[in-house]
Amino acid sequence: MIDLTKEIWQTMCTNKLRTILTGISVAWGILMLILLLSISQGVYNMSKGFTSKNDPLRISVWAGTTSLPWKGLKEGRTIKLRARDMEEVAKSNTEYIASVEGNLRLTAQVSTNKDYLSSRVTGTFPEHFNGRYTLRQGRFLNQADLRDQRKVAVLNNKSASVLFNDTLNVVGKLIKVGNSAFTVVGVYAHEWEDDVYIPFSTAYALSGYYDKMWENQIHLKNVTNEEQSAKAERDARNAYAKLQNFDPKDDNAIYTFDRYASSIEQERSNRILTMAMWIIGILTLITGIVGVSNIMFVSVKERTHEIGIRRAIGAKPRKILGQIIAESIALTTIFGYLGIVFGVLAVEGIKYALRNASFPLRPEVDLTIAIEVLLALVIAGALAGIVPAIKATKVSPVEALRDE
Amino acid sequence: MIKLTDINKTYPGAVPLHVLKGINLHIEKGELVSIMGASGSGKSTLLNILGILDTYDTGEYYLDGQLVRNLSENKAAELRNHKIGFVFQSFNLINYKNALENVALPLFYQGFSRRKRNVMAMEQLDRMGLKEWHHHLPSELSGGQKQRVAIARALITNPAILLADEPTGALDSKTSVEVMGIFRQLNTEGVTSVIVTHDPSVAAQCKRTIRIVDGLIV
Repeated sequence: MIDLTKEIWQTMCTNKLRTILTGISVAWGILMLILLLSISQGVYNMSKGFTSKNDPLRISVWAGTTSLPWKGLKEGRTIKLRARDMEEVAKSNTEYIASVEGNLRLTAQVSTNKDYLSSRVTGTFPEHFNGRYTLRQGRFLNQADLRDQRKVAVLNNKSASVLFNDTLNVVGKLIKVGNSAFTVVGVYAHEWEDDVYIPFSTAYALSGYYDKMWENQIHLKNVTNEEQSAKAERDARNAYAKLQNFDPKDDNAIYTFDRYASSIEQERSNRILTMAMWIIGILTLITGIVGVSNIMFVSVKERTHEIGIRRAIGAKPRKILGQIIAESIALTTIFGYLGIVFGVLAVEGIKYALRNASFPLRPEVDLTIAIEVLLALVIAGALAGIVPAIKATKVSPVEALRDE
Repeated sequence: MIKLTDINKTYPGAVPLHVLKGINLHIEKGELVSIMGASGSGKSTLLNILGILDTYDTGEYYLDGQLVRNLSENKAAELRNHKIGFVFQSFNLINYKNALENVALPLFYQGFSRRKRNVMAMEQLDRMGLKEWHHHLPSELSGGQKQRVAIARALITNPAILLADEPTGALDSKTSVEVMGIFRQLNTEGVTSVIVTHDPSVAAQCKRTIRIVDGLIV
């Protein structure tokens, strides 16, 4: 190994300028590849950031107005999402629907002795918290809170600091919701939501069993493809239609948003974007690779006599082949590595330049990209070297006897 | 050591060139033989065949008891590496490697470890009186020194035969005498050598001279 490294180093040094010029083309190709991939990763992260804040294993449902007459009833009726319907909808497809929950908004002000909030008060279910919020303190709501209609609340951390001037020791303190005292059980962080969450059952009771929810969430289970989520959606829609007496084909009676299907769609478009970036990047890299291949040809040609000598003193063709390919790989890898380094610096530069941009595009080079690019380099180097190397093995040992 | 029986070689072409027309040659172990001939006589072709650098059409070539015929590239390389030491007119040292690395190169292709190779190469350089010059590049050595490095490289694998192609062709007369002195010295140590030359003074220092004219030994 040391011998091979030394051989490669020696041959690279015999024509430094040529080595460097060729190397720059490879480094440039890699730099472009890194830039493109990091930007596509940034776009991916951006969209993923949105979807992960919106647990994709669910279908959101909003109430609308009927647009078709149904069983003697006229169009234009307002549909309500009712608390008592949720259980029935959940039963419509037990295979794919895990649960159905909803949010009930209370018109109540949240306050302490110190200050008050303008945030909404929302009655909700434990599932609502599935992966969407970062828990800072305490806990989210649980089934026992709902069963016992407990007067407990989960606050946004900013709200907590408004109410208590403190975000660290808030759990266990009391807040006023309307005229009732609630105990804070948890503090969450979220980029844009700041609702005060209380158990659905508590909110339902406080509202005087006012049966009009803002939205329903159908939580899915066992769903692995879009047909399954579509089936769940169809079954749920039929259940709503039956409970509320509207045409199941009426798209305006309730609106649904299959977040699972849309996340799959998102994934797909991200993959296409990444693939496109790879293709463009690799095409750029090919320019560099052709350069390396060309240089290896020149190098083999120049060293015909030397290769002849090596053959005459007993080098097997395989050894010559290996050496030329190794040289090619070394050339691409060394300069490719420089390309990676400068590429990462460039990405960091872009990240710095975009730090205050309104859109959250954060180009990123992660370890996977670096490893993939490195692998691409080695393969590219080998490909660049293979034809010149085969040419080198064709050099006859008689060349050694020829005078230069 | 070398036994050639009725070797024929024709270079194909529009006008096929019959270069060797039935060569019979026997070289015993420990001989110092020169092959003389005018250019075009076929002596280079004979040397190429002896060195397994080229193939022959008909006949038989036994090297150290082994039939050399229809060998694969790998097998030929292996035989060259183990059985033959080459010394060339223009030295054929690799110009970016120092004397020690040049001498050690044949052992590299035998898969010797670096340390062992260097120790053995140093021994050979010492034998040629070039121990102090081991780290010099070929460009920093005189013609005679370069040829001695080349001889050290040829000897390092302890070959059955040393094949020299005009070893003094690029040297002045004083250095030529010196290099021929080395071949004679090696001969007393039992090394079998074949020297191709057209210089009668070189041939005169060999124990036997083979003259080749128009593809035949006379």
